[in-house]
Amino acid sequence: MGRRAILSWVGVVPFFVFSFLFLIVPTLYLVVGSFLDKAGAPTLQNYRDLLGEQTIRTYMNGLEISAVTAIAGCVFGFLLAYAVILGGLPRPLRTALMTFSGVASNFAGVPLAFAFVFTIGRVGLATVILRDVFGIDIYGAGFTIYSKIGLEVVYFYFQLPLMVLIIAPAIDGLKQEWREAAENMGATPAQYWRMVALPILAPPLLGSAILLFANAFGAQATAFALTGGSLDIPTIAISRQIRGDVLFNEGLGYALAMGMVVIMAVSIGLYTVLQRRTERWLR
Amino acid sequence: MSTMQRTATRRAGLLTVTALLFAACSSSGGGAATAGASAAAGAWTPPADLLTAAKGEGTLSTIALPHSWCNYGEALSSFAAATGLKLNELNPDGGSGDEINAIKTNKDNKGPQAPDVIDVGLSFGPQAKTDGLIQNYKVSTWDTIPDTAKDPDGAWYGDYYGVLAFEVNTKVVKNVPADWSDLLKPEYKGQVALAGDPTVSNQAISGVWAAGIATGGSLDDAAPGLKFFKDLNAAGNFVPIISKTANVASGETPIRIAWTYNALADKDSLKGNPPIEVVVPKTGRFGGMYVQAISAYAPHPNAAKLWMEYLYSDAGQNAWLKGYCNPIRYDAMVKAGTVDKAAQAKLPDTAGTQLPTLDQITKASDVITKGWASQVGATVK
Amino acid sequence: MSSVGGGTPITGDATMRQALSQSATVPRRRRSLGTIVWWVIFLAGVAYFVIPLWSTFMFSLQAEPFGAAYTNTLDDPQFGSTLLYSFVVGVITVIVSIAIMVPTAFWVRLRVPRLRRIVEFVTLLPFVIPPVLLVFGLIRSYSSGPLPLTNTDIGSSALLVAAYTVLSFPYMYRAVDVGLRSIDVQSLTEASQSLGAGWFRILWSVILPNLRVSLLAGAFLTLAIVIGEYTIATFLARPAFGPYLALIGGNKAYEPAAVSLISFALTWAAMGVIQYIGRGTRISVAGAR
Repeated sequence: MGRRAILSWVGVVPFFVFSFLFLIVPTLYLVVGSFLDKAGAPTLQNYRDLLGEQTIRTYMNGLEISAVTAIAGCVFGFLLAYAVILGGLPRPLRTALMTFSGVASNFAGVPLAFAFVFTIGRVGLATVILRDVFGIDIYGAGFTIYSKIGLEVVYFYFQLPLMVLIIAPAIDGLKQEWREAAENMGATPAQYWRMVALPILAPPLLGSAILLFANAFGAQATAFALTGGSLDIPTIAISRQIRGDVLFNEGLGYALAMGMVVIMAVSIGLYTVLQRRTERWLR
Repeated sequence: MSTMQRTATRRAGLLTVTALLFAACSSSGGGAATAGASAAAGAWTPPADLLTAAKGEGTLSTIALPHSWCNYGEALSSFAAATGLKLNELNPDGGSGDEINAIKTNKDNKGPQAPDVIDVGLSFGPQAKTDGLIQNYKVSTWDTIPDTAKDPDGAWYGDYYGVLAFEVNTKVVKNVPADWSDLLKPEYKGQVALAGDPTVSNQAISGVWAAGIATGGSLDDAAPGLKFFKDLNAAGNFVPIISKTANVASGETPIRIAWTYNALADKDSLKGNPPIEVVVPKTGRFGGMYVQAISAYAPHPNAAKLWMEYLYSDAGQNAWLKGYCNPIRYDAMVKAGTVDKAAQAKLPDTAGTQLPTLDQITKASDVITKGWASQVGATVK
Repeated sequence: MSSVGGGTPITGDATMRQALSQSATVPRRRRSLGTIVWWVIFLAGVAYFVIPLWSTFMFSLQAEPFGAAYTNTLDDPQFGSTLLYSFVVGVITVIVSIAIMVPTAFWVRLRVPRLRRIVEFVTLLPFVIPPVLLVFGLIRSYSSGPLPLTNTDIGSSALLVAAYTVLSFPYMYRAVDVGLRSIDVQSLTEASQSLGAGWFRILWSVILPNLRVSLLAGAFLTLAIVIGEYTIATFLARPAFGPYLALIGGNKAYEPAAVSLISFALTWAAMGVIQYIGRGTRISVAGAR
């Protein structure tokens, strides 16, 4: 029996070895490094620095941007996915949207930042059209793409398709029969939604929102490309410490990262719990 | 089994087609600009023994050398052509801080991630020496390098300098600013940007300092520079991003504070689309020097030394001159008559430029990098 | 809302089947009204996606002579070489990832369900670690010692593949897991075993073909990630597409716009082709996560 038990682990050994070599080991550097100071001696100072006012603000900025884009992405992504799956649109549109979403959800960094600068930057196409054709001067009204709001608009570009991709199977699983059965029992569309669809969709919707949150929180390339490091969010703060900022403090960078890890781990944990609930209905 | 075969064949076919597609895209025009490898006057002959040693190593790893910066593109290809060495160019977008960091991270690494040579802002040199990151080497033309521009032990040595100027997109900006104080005018709202991050980039730090010098500061006092940018930001004229060529060309940040050589190189490459005017400000003319050094952990030390020999030869110095940079041996070459006259004629008028000493730079960098976030607070909100 | 086909009042769910057959026709008018709303939403989404791409395109056309941004790009040998490099790395990553993930997910499902939580946790770790730290850790670990991978070009590329495989774990694992869930792994395995197949044969000939669509979904997400990735490729000094994009983004005016559009289009086309290969199956490729 013992031999069988050991053998039963054989299949997962490659995975664990690979993960250990290329994921755990580098992560250990991160964890250990967060406890060292500039000279390499053990210290808790980095973590104490985490509680400083500046750092708290950094995290709050990151959390705010992530939460906003997660909720927006969740709502509109759901609507968009529903439109092509159950909204009565021609079938090829669904395929096109899914493929496009696969590409768009990874369209980030320099190209995405530039694309939006060309669109709603100070002399962007949309800015100019709004001003010259519709008489709406968004920059005159105080908007600028180099702001938290601007960044959120840009982040939306990969949050939205990500949501579409994630929620599609859940919408697929919403059996047409349930709707028809509800209708035949006299339910209005509102009642159907309130009592059948939304309760079933709640776990995947929430789970996806959390995933979107984690996705935005960990994003760095786009924020950096758009603002050049002058935006105060955790990912940029970390890269500044690591890259040799004059205020260079590697240990602090690692501690900042550990803070991020905790937030992300909690998010992913919540997501996993919600995933299990989802699976129950949408098998 | 046959389904698997069909799928496998289809997959293989797809891969082949896609690969061919990509290959086709790249095969056209393979003869990239090996900028008529300057067989121009004063072609360089590599010293024989160093060449043999370098050839044994086979490669030179450089870092943070954009091809349009001081005409590095031509310098690199001429060097490669003359020595037959392979070039491994790392992180062309990096700043001085990134270069130092690359040496540190790759101390134990003899692989392609470790740079052999660095080209960093003056203030980074002495610190790198203290940290033991660079090794001594004195090129054959050592004596013609001014004493104020080199480390006596040979750890680092000035390579070129430029002057801070305004790179202006005249398609968007009709009324070109002539001096630092002009930038505060309301007509330039949301138009002015630095070319780097003032806590990391030498070019950006110098920009802040120069603005200060023009508005009441001096080489010994960089604080007015912070005040200037605080005012600029409050007026809404400052855009707190790292501005690149594309940002200027698109009109997003039509006024960029950059070294003359970068601005002029942009002007050339854009060829009037859009038209660029390079304005050296009337006051506050600030010169910044960069220094070369060889990494103490260089995987190819002889190739590194050979590269230095090239850069400090007349040919190398003239290559930089063609890129609108003032090479460090400029005066000596003018005296000896080996300077490239055509390139010399194209240099902008920079009379009255002040070049800071090392101590002044260290002090100013400290003030600016530490004070930027708190005093100017020009973060994206 | 009664169905057009003469609905009989339904009492209790014993007549569910009757309800289903009778409710097959939804009133036409209501359907088209609802559909208009969905069309509006769909078009709004399309507008949001397309306008930035269009703006980029318009900007790229400003280069002179007309279309210069595109010809310069296609003439640049580095464009093709870096794109090819990233594509090849991507394909290898996909293969390695599948080779690790399929047996693992299969084994967990079949033999050691207890390990499922741990495996899932590990596969989600890449989300949590910022790539810049991952690459720094990798360089520190593998620049010397027992496995000096960074010392050679081929070793560094291998390290890149390893890093990307790790990054693909969350997507691949979920894709394979979803796929396995939709087939009866237990019965298939037992049937194959009773026919005398060994583990490898089972995985290769029975399980893998049934996972085709899920694998394709995971594959195309992985490919998209690899082609656009910047941080790890830069620090490992690899001639990949991400660093190339950043390079010309920094130094050229109109070419960056052209390059990002071309890469977007090529990636979309590649995925479209993959989608085509996976057609004719019920599960949509979007079921990756």
